Amino acid sequence: MASSQHVLLSPAELAYLHASLSLTPPIRPDGRSPTQFRPLVAETGILPGTNGSARICFADGTEAIVGVKAEVERTRTRHDFPSLDESAEDDDDLDDNQNDVVKGDNDWVEMTVEIPGYRDDDAGTVFLSAMLSEALLADGEFTKRLWINQRFHWKLYLDILLISPPLSYPLPLLSLTTHLALLAARLPRLKSEGDEDPLFDDDWAAAPYLYPRPSEKGSKATAPAPAARPPVTLLVMAVGNNIIFDPSKEELAVADVALAVSVGESSSSTTSTTSSKPTAMDIDTEETKGHNLRLLSVRTIDPPSRLTPPGIPNASNSAYGANAGAKDTEKKKQQQEQARTAESEAVEGVWKAPRGGAKTLVMATMVQKVLEKGGVADEVLDALDGVDLN
Amino acid sequence: MPLDTSAYSLALLRVDGRRWNELRRIHAQIRTQAAADGSSYLEMGHTKVMCVVNGPSEPGPRRGATSGGGSGGGQSKNAEVAVNIVIAGFSSVDRKRRGRGDKHILELQSTISQALAASLHTHLFPHSTINISLHVLSQDGSLLAALINAATLACVDAGIPMTDYVAACTAGSTSTYAANDEGADPLLDMNHQEEQELPGLTVATLGDSDRVAVLVCESRVQVSRLEGMLAVGVDGCKQVREILDRVVREKGIKMIQEGTVERGVGLNDMELD
Amino acid sequence: MPREAEPSANEKAFLLKALQDEQIRLDGREFDQYRPLELTFGDEYGVANVSLGKTKILAKASAEVTVPFADRPLDGIFTIATELSPMAAPHFEVNRPTETEVLLSRLLEKTVRRSGALDTESLCLVAGQKCWSVRVDVHVLSHDGNLTDAACFAVVAALRHFRKPDTSMENGVLTVYTPAEREPVPLGWLHSPFCVTWSFFGDEGETALLDADWMEEQVRVASVTISLNRHGEICQIAKLGGVPVEAVALLQCTSVALTKVKEFSTYLDGKLAEDAKRRDKGGFMAELRAENDRIVG
Repeated sequence: MASSQHVLLSPAELAYLHASLSLTPPIRPDGRSPTQFRPLVAETGILPGTNGSARICFADGTEAIVGVKAEVERTRTRHDFPSLDESAEDDDDLDDNQNDVVKGDNDWVEMTVEIPGYRDDDAGTVFLSAMLSEALLADGEFTKRLWINQRFHWKLYLDILLISPPLSYPLPLLSLTTHLALLAARLPRLKSEGDEDPLFDDDWAAAPYLYPRPSEKGSKATAPAPAARPPVTLLVMAVGNNIIFDPSKEELAVADVALAVSVGESSSSTTSTTSSKPTAMDIDTEETKGHNLRLLSVRTIDPPSRLTPPGIPNASNSAYGANAGAKDTEKKKQQQEQARTAESEAVEGVWKAPRGGAKTLVMATMVQKVLEKGGVADEVLDALDGVDLN
Repeated sequence: MPLDTSAYSLALLRVDGRRWNELRRIHAQIRTQAAADGSSYLEMGHTKVMCVVNGPSEPGPRRGATSGGGSGGGQSKNAEVAVNIVIAGFSSVDRKRRGRGDKHILELQSTISQALAASLHTHLFPHSTINISLHVLSQDGSLLAALINAATLACVDAGIPMTDYVAACTAGSTSTYAANDEGADPLLDMNHQEEQELPGLTVATLGDSDRVAVLVCESRVQVSRLEGMLAVGVDGCKQVREILDRVVREKGIKMIQEGTVERGVGLNDMELD
Repeated sequence: MPREAEPSANEKAFLLKALQDEQIRLDGREFDQYRPLELTFGDEYGVANVSLGKTKILAKASAEVTVPFADRPLDGIFTIATELSPMAAPHFEVNRPTETEVLLSRLLEKTVRRSGALDTESLCLVAGQKCWSVRVDVHVLSHDGNLTDAACFAVVAALRHFRKPDTSMENGVLTVYTPAEREPVPLGWLHSPFCVTWSFFGDEGETALLDADWMEEQVRVASVTISLNRHGEICQIAKLGGVPVEAVALLQCTSVALTKVKEFSTYLDGKLAEDAKRRDKGGFMAELRAENDRIVG
């Protein structure tokens, strides 16, 4: 749905846009640099009735609100053999011996996405929520935070609302808002011990954050490591060999490739559990300073450019005097031929919807650009750090 | 949890400390979102709703989800008012998810659509659709009233010609229907707790008049108490209208001062400070 | 999707002019007069056939034993199902609820179910395990306006006429008796609510009519449905938008509605008594008689 939103641009405009974005360096319609993001307004803690909430407004006017609500739920007791249970739970053997300590289940998180005007069982909506929850659950670390004791766990409901009409592809907006809402989310402090029925502290001020903060006041020397953060999903597109971040709706309309790259940050004080999680596409950067980024998922998005109508080259456009002298029958025949070539061959300066796949090199660079030190993900996470969490 | 209404007769104070004729705090903003034609945010106590209006525009492809249709389809000589309500899962204390086919939501959608269609000059926009989408962020009673008020504000912001504000509020009565109490006092603007326990109704009036656009009563109550409740409700609607009007005027003055819009004719009598 | 037929502009203008200038309704009724209301009961218990002019509605109540909802272990289950089939009017489709149908079922739900007309606690058999599930199916046979009032009357009549099988609990064994073993028992009924719908006409809704037929419904600018019982308790009021109407006028509508509801109530009581007399052949002793009614002829 939203990725293939109708963009009302003529083939000539598309060709112009495509040409200017393929220059080195690319010229974007709003004058941004390729990696620059549009300004956004973000706030958290807007809904006191939730465990955590956030609202983000993008510069193009799209707006999203995310609320996190947690409920205590009794953990389903498994009746199968413990060994079977463990092998079903995780594939790695390192966790097995400490399995009874903390473990999570993907069922503990329920995510719903509401896009105005779209049914909640619309394929696009389902795909969005699948991508967002995939990133969140990818490393299996998140659900462990919801563990209370052997018998109880938190059930986390993430309700993601897009307030504005879906003007551009809403994935990055929804992901950033979810990120902030999870950062702001707090769960009541547990007062009971062991496996007894959970009892919680009434004092909301004492409630710990779902994602513990790096201790800010003092003791910086002891814990300089940034704490783990929820994932963010960034939309990256490529035009030719140029890689462009945070594309606007119009830019997306001429994209050759569009990728949704989910990046997470694990606490750099890597415990045995974190390092023992071999993710297929794990690109662990060296643990120096900055963010400890991990690639969680990469999804190609079908760019709306594929559905745009092609332009007609002057050669086959009768309005420009092509075949003016030719006889009618001959003209028609010629036109048909030329129309066929227009379909298959690219003519300089004439818009043609991109066909086929993307170069692997471009794809690799896109992912690389997100993940590199001081790269875009670093920047985004730093910027989100600046949001006041109240 | 039963609401202790016995204390009311002693101190004449309600559970949240209000008197019988007090509204809760109403906070409203318009033009909250740049992408929409009109938008608003409204708080009535802890009930918080957001509204986004788009249109009047050409009717898009018919989607099954948007219900409503104040006055005929998009092909008629009046604009169709399509209302879509999303009640966020986190809006109530206990998370309760309602599907889109929920009859209660459909009823709300239809009510708001019909109420606004009577005030909006829909005949100026034939063959078009006005899309109103409402988001409920937090619920604490008087939901329908808050939704109507937010939708009115957003329509004002969208610049759709309309007769007057459709302002809404709730009114209740201090004792349950079972207690056949003739001395029951009417109450203005019920919160969730009061709505659970006491009879009440939602009224929406058009502008300054006593004319009732919406009257919804969903609880059992003696017919003799209706008059009192209705009077208090209509009076409350007038107070709400004043508040909404002030919000619009303040925003208008601010926009003129910021130079976003030009000071037009007819605005001369408006004090700018 | 088939669209509802609309009256022509001439028809509309004629109706409005007659109403506002001449104070005459097309069928010559008074403004606060209902079309002839007729109620017949079926041979079975719980079948009510209501006709209001050309509007015809059949309501059928039934009961079965099921498991109660987990969050309400002490209550029985009570549902009202409405169906507007193409039989009633060509623009209704099966399995695609129109707005009319949704609003109708919400109104019945609020009037009969939420006002507590049926004592759902009396439907409980074994707490948390067994209860009666009472269901009323409303079938609209013919649609000529004012479905709400007719449907509500039919639902209440069907439920009050209905008899559920008698049960007994002995040593934890639940027995449900067939009608032959024990006389079926009526439902625990608390009060009888009825809907009265006013339709408004004119720019400011100054003309109010009761029991609008289909044509009048097409032309009206607003409507209000008031549900009351004869004790003067409002069960529900629904004026869902439409042209605003003076608050005082609504109060007057309510008081007139109360007198109508009292008439409905008396009519229904009378019909029920009549039906009971028809069924009652003199009780148990009469059934034991060996004589037969002889056809003299």
